[in-house]
Amino acid sequence: MAVRRRVVPVVLVALVGAVLTLPSFAQTTGGTLVIGRGADAVTLSFYASAAPDSETMAHVVETLFKLSPDGKVEPHLAESSQLSADGRQLTIRLRRGIRFHDGTPFDAAAVKWNIDYFRNPDNRVPFRFLVSEVTGVDVVDATTARITTGRPFVPLLAHLTHDFIGMHSPAAVERAGGMRPPDGAPYGRAPVGTGPYKFREWVRGDRIVLERNPDYWGPNKPALDQIVWRVIPDDGARVLALESGQIHVAVRVPPRDTSRLAINRALRVDRTSSLRTIYAAFNYQRRPFTDVRVRQAFNYAVNKRAIVQTILGGAARVSDAPISPGIVGYAPVMTYAYDVAKAKQLLAEAGFPNGLNVTFHHPTGRYVQDAAVAAAVQAQLREAGINARLVTMEWATYLQVTNRPVNQTDIEMFMLGWGTVTGDADYGLYSLFHSSQWAPGGSSRFFYKNDRVDGLLDQARAITDPARRAATYKQAMELIMQDAPWLFLHSESQITGLRREVQGLVVHPTERILAMTARVSR
Amino acid sequence: MATYLIKRLLLAVPVLLGVSVVVFTMIRLIPGDPAQLMAGQAATEEIIREIRETLGLDRPVVVQYAIFLRNAARGDLGHSLFNRAPVTEELALRFPRTVRLGVASMLVAAAIGVPAGIISATRHLTWVDSLVMVVALAGVSIPVFWLGLNLILIFAVRLQWLPAIGHETWAHLILPAVTLGTASAAIIARMTRSAMLEVLRQDYVRTARAKGVAEPSVVGRHALRNALIPVVTVIGLQLGTLLGGAVLTETVFAWPGVGRLLVDAVLARDYPIIQGTVLLITSTFVLLNVLVDMVYAVLDPRIRYE
Repeated sequence: MAVRRRVVPVVLVALVGAVLTLPSFAQTTGGTLVIGRGADAVTLSFYASAAPDSETMAHVVETLFKLSPDGKVEPHLAESSQLSADGRQLTIRLRRGIRFHDGTPFDAAAVKWNIDYFRNPDNRVPFRFLVSEVTGVDVVDATTARITTGRPFVPLLAHLTHDFIGMHSPAAVERAGGMRPPDGAPYGRAPVGTGPYKFREWVRGDRIVLERNPDYWGPNKPALDQIVWRVIPDDGARVLALESGQIHVAVRVPPRDTSRLAINRALRVDRTSSLRTIYAAFNYQRRPFTDVRVRQAFNYAVNKRAIVQTILGGAARVSDAPISPGIVGYAPVMTYAYDVAKAKQLLAEAGFPNGLNVTFHHPTGRYVQDAAVAAAVQAQLREAGINARLVTMEWATYLQVTNRPVNQTDIEMFMLGWGTVTGDADYGLYSLFHSSQWAPGGSSRFFYKNDRVDGLLDQARAITDPARRAATYKQAMELIMQDAPWLFLHSESQITGLRREVQGLVVHPTERILAMTARVSR
Repeated sequence: MATYLIKRLLLAVPVLLGVSVVVFTMIRLIPGDPAQLMAGQAATEEIIREIRETLGLDRPVVVQYAIFLRNAARGDLGHSLFNRAPVTEELALRFPRTVRLGVASMLVAAAIGVPAGIISATRHLTWVDSLVMVVALAGVSIPVFWLGLNLILIFAVRLQWLPAIGHETWAHLILPAVTLGTASAAIIARMTRSAMLEVLRQDYVRTARAKGVAEPSVVGRHALRNALIPVVTVIGLQLGTLLGGAVLTETVFAWPGVGRLLVDAVLARDYPIIQGTVLLITSTFVLLNVLVDMVYAVLDPRIRYE
């Protein structure tokens, strides 16, 4: 009796306490998160090739593995994986009991269907190079799949984190009428995956709406009722929409607006580095850039830190390697100090005691403050006696003009960016610095060639031991930095504006806003 | 009158044909490859070639044009190169939004411009006249995007009276219509003023005043109707321009209309969208011109069409 007399008040107090705290708990679930971005997605299918596509798709369609913001590969739909000793077979054990949004089971057969579709050249998937080394996918049992490659290909695990190789429901693709090149229609307009959010609606050029998946398998249950991506092309208007409360998140806030947002108590500004490296490449096969002293002179002549501080508002990181931190295989290598005297000395040694003239091509409006950065580089080069004539054009023309073969191009120096979207050094280094990758067949538009670098990059693809692989890449990067085929500039930072009531949002270095764990308190 | 109308509409066909040939050729002559843009910077030659083949861009230009004409005759303007959405569907979705914005802007412009022009003309050579003309000059000179962003800053951010972006409700229409209507209002004001001044000098106006007709009636009934003829022309042409899509306003206010569609399509080299949109804008312009001519006949009994 005495016990009960004491228990009852305690229980009452606990109940009252629970009731009092319930409202504040309930307020952080539900609601709609509105994200403003500059461009619409094109397709939500295997035929995706741009950031808006993968950003939205990542919430609906999941991958076997995930790339954490600090560059680690973690199992996701996979529970575990094992690489065979010879590096040619990857056995993946899947999590049990997962279903697609249409109720069909996610199993090894679905994994086989997805990867086979992706790598089949007849399907003309633009990013099929990600799994081009795969020679077969086998269903060992309902929850085990085995991927075989022709030769050891260590980057495969990193490639499987790529959002473009998400696991779509094979039944849904068939029901929709298939996925056809070049845009994955008709399925690509309404994807079906295993993600925390389901596709709801897409009004082209305006907005994409996702809704909560109440049956989500993962430990982090989706908290929002809806996520909406709105297309607001103008940077200034997007920031104003954030300030007016019409959207919760604004991406790519211009550096000049950050101080105004910082003093607004309803908002906060997030700065996250990006995996995108901005550089100005030299035509390695064309004088004067055939001489390493000239290339290094350019690097000494430009004050990259000043550019980052003044033009980019501190929201960038001076490059100390050809790839950005957060990429598997990155290591800090070196920077060229700002030394105009040294630049002049090197130029004189190379036979240009009175400076020289070059043409510098750059895009406008493609990268953050790209035209302003080019102008700053031009001004700084002038101090060292280098006259750089700036040439710009809109992006489509720029892409074409910079993609001509080595014997047909008259480009001397040009600005570009490269986002190592797989999070693995192979994609950032092999694609740009291996001599087999010269444009227009490959992505190296500056025609770099160093046989030792070629050898190291080839080797690194097959080394399974992470420490040895990293060491090999470091060696290659040291050679590249000394050869200076680029004016090494910076890796971009993403400046994102958020309303304070938004929590749990992740701005990922692959330039995607991830709202799987986001909440909006009301 | 009816035969005249039919004749005018039939004349539109060769105009559209001519425009289609010019646009078709021009966009394929400028540098930039839609297949490369679609594939992205990192794509290989192989991928780009594949995309070109899939989209039929590797066929001779004449063949592509013939296919386009054949389909257009059946009402099929093709599919967007980028997302395969039917061009007619995209236009059907976006054009009404542009019309809404254009008409609203024109109403704002006329509602401000015509009275301003009348007041200015009837107060000719006074400070009122000068003030109206200075404001009109400012209205024409202010960049549209500057005005738009400032209106958003004041009314959406500071006062929170109106939404910043979007197009869903009538409230969303106010700021973009005012932004877009301002320059047109200024032009209409100046045109109205000139036309009114011209008309107010006429003998029949002096006669009306001599007869003792009240001034508001002189201005409103006798003068205005004749002054409106050139003003109607200007309004018609302005509306035509606006229906071509006010791309700056559409960009600032995230208004998904035809203007932005066209500019985005040009930047992306989305040939079918460019062709379809230009043909739509041309047709609109032609129709508007016919409409303006019809309105003349209403305003001026001397004008008769056979």
